[in-house]
Amino acid sequence: MSEPVAGTEAQGIPGYPGPFEVGRYAKELQRRLRGFTQVALLGEVVNFKAGRGANVYFELRDADGAVPCAMWRNDFDRLGDAGSDLRDGAQVIVAGGCDYYPGGASASPSFSFRVKTMRPAGEGDLLARLERLRRLLASEGLFERQKKLRRPALPRRIGVVTGEGSAARKDFLAGLERLGWRGQIVWGYAPVQDRRAAPAIGAALRDLAAYGEVDAIVVTRGGGSIADLWAFCDEALCRTVALLPVPVVSAVGHEVDRTLIDDVAAVSCSTPTHAAAAVVRVDVGAERAGMLAAAARLHTRGRGTVVEQARALIARSRAPREHLRRHRRDLHQASKELRATTRKAVGEERERQRRRAGTVLPRKREAALAAVGTERGALARRAARLDARARDGLAVRRKAAMRQAASLRALDPDRTLERGYALALGPDGELLDDAAAVTAAREFELRMSGGTVPARVRDSGT
Amino acid sequence: MNEDAQTYENAVERLEEIIARLDSGQAGLRETLDLCAEGKRLIEFAAGELDSVGKGLEELRLDDLVARLDPANAQEKPETA
Repeated sequence: MSEPVAGTEAQGIPGYPGPFEVGRYAKELQRRLRGFTQVALLGEVVNFKAGRGANVYFELRDADGAVPCAMWRNDFDRLGDAGSDLRDGAQVIVAGGCDYYPGGASASPSFSFRVKTMRPAGEGDLLARLERLRRLLASEGLFERQKKLRRPALPRRIGVVTGEGSAARKDFLAGLERLGWRGQIVWGYAPVQDRRAAPAIGAALRDLAAYGEVDAIVVTRGGGSIADLWAFCDEALCRTVALLPVPVVSAVGHEVDRTLIDDVAAVSCSTPTHAAAAVVRVDVGAERAGMLAAAARLHTRGRGTVVEQARALIARSRAPREHLRRHRRDLHQASKELRATTRKAVGEERERQRRRAGTVLPRKREAALAAVGTERGALARRAARLDARARDGLAVRRKAAMRQAASLRALDPDRTLERGYALALGPDGELLDDAAAVTAAREFELRMSGGTVPARVRDSGT
Repeated sequence: MNEDAQTYENAVERLEEIIARLDSGQAGLRETLDLCAEGKRLIEFAAGELDSVGKGLEELRLDDLVARLDPANAQEKPETA
């Protein structure tokens, strides 16, 4: 593509190479696209057209995009029985590369992925893809939103998305009947196994939620392989479920593999029957019986309490009256006893006083008089004894005084002086009781019978 | 759905609390009368809820409801089973 059309340089557009002849450009485009690396693609077959021409055509799709595919009839025929897997809704793996038909003067150009060979997608392929989707939705928090919604235990109105005339529909109804639930069901019928299934189920879910009067929605179908149930792993459908404001119960029959809708739903069940029990969480018949029992208990307990309280009140109102009556009776009896006792005591006292006045008092008077006489005699005797003792004592004391006077007289120094003795007395009248004291005094007095004589010590020459 | 509205399960739960309280024998006369009145209201509500899902199954088709909401099909009646 290095050579523009000869002689047309002046007719180009500034900033863009060319112009080039379109046929040449188309062939160059074909060459370059065919040079892309050959790869294998996984997707769902849509709009399969075998026809009788040299090619068979179909599209390969998933939630994020699509590629138009073409396969030479020779290559298609070589598939043998496997060719029958190329049908709408089938999950397949195709191998090939990009191709471009450049068209011509009277033929339209077209791009296609030239399929050399293909095979049905195995469970491993689908499960790997499912796991990638699961991680993606989980990372966005889409598994938790439905689980946070409140699910009423006894919904009045249930929306159900399932195949019309399906066994799942019948099983779900049987489950509700066993629970005695006979409310309102809104059926959102949709295909449950082909390329139309996921969009139709998603639309039914949105319509049910928009209706605004269903308390819960059930999505259900019978069992199958993961390929059969692939619509329930559709990313767009699962995002719709996750964001729905009404709780969704999924019951997509499967034994081993878990579909993606099970992860995003509020509750997932394995069978339509289980879904009935998950969406209606009470046995209506049993609840009705339980409610009757509760009403009876309430009545019994309420009445019992009222009667009991009334009895207690009556008993309380009666108690003071009984109490007063009993006390009045006791008081009356006590009063009677007191009066009787008083009368008896007064009579006895009176009798005792009378007896005392008649006998005891005279006796006591005589005894007192006798005692006075006795006491008087004793006093007279005591006085006589005191007189005698006084006389005796006076005589004794007189004799003793006479003896003491005699003793005093005998001891009197004047009596000694009378017998010729003298006392030597110092200048101050002190007794000089030996010769040394007299000698020392030099001058002294001699006291002797009849008077005092001054005296002096004569020098003796010694 | 109104999150604040009375629900069947809430009514049953409260009713069980009331009966347990009455069974305990600790409620006085005034409380007993109040609990009985509340319990009676709850039973009436719960019985109404049970009645609403016990009279007979009613089946509607979503397609019909959607069509009825479409002004162009406003005259059509919903099909019931």
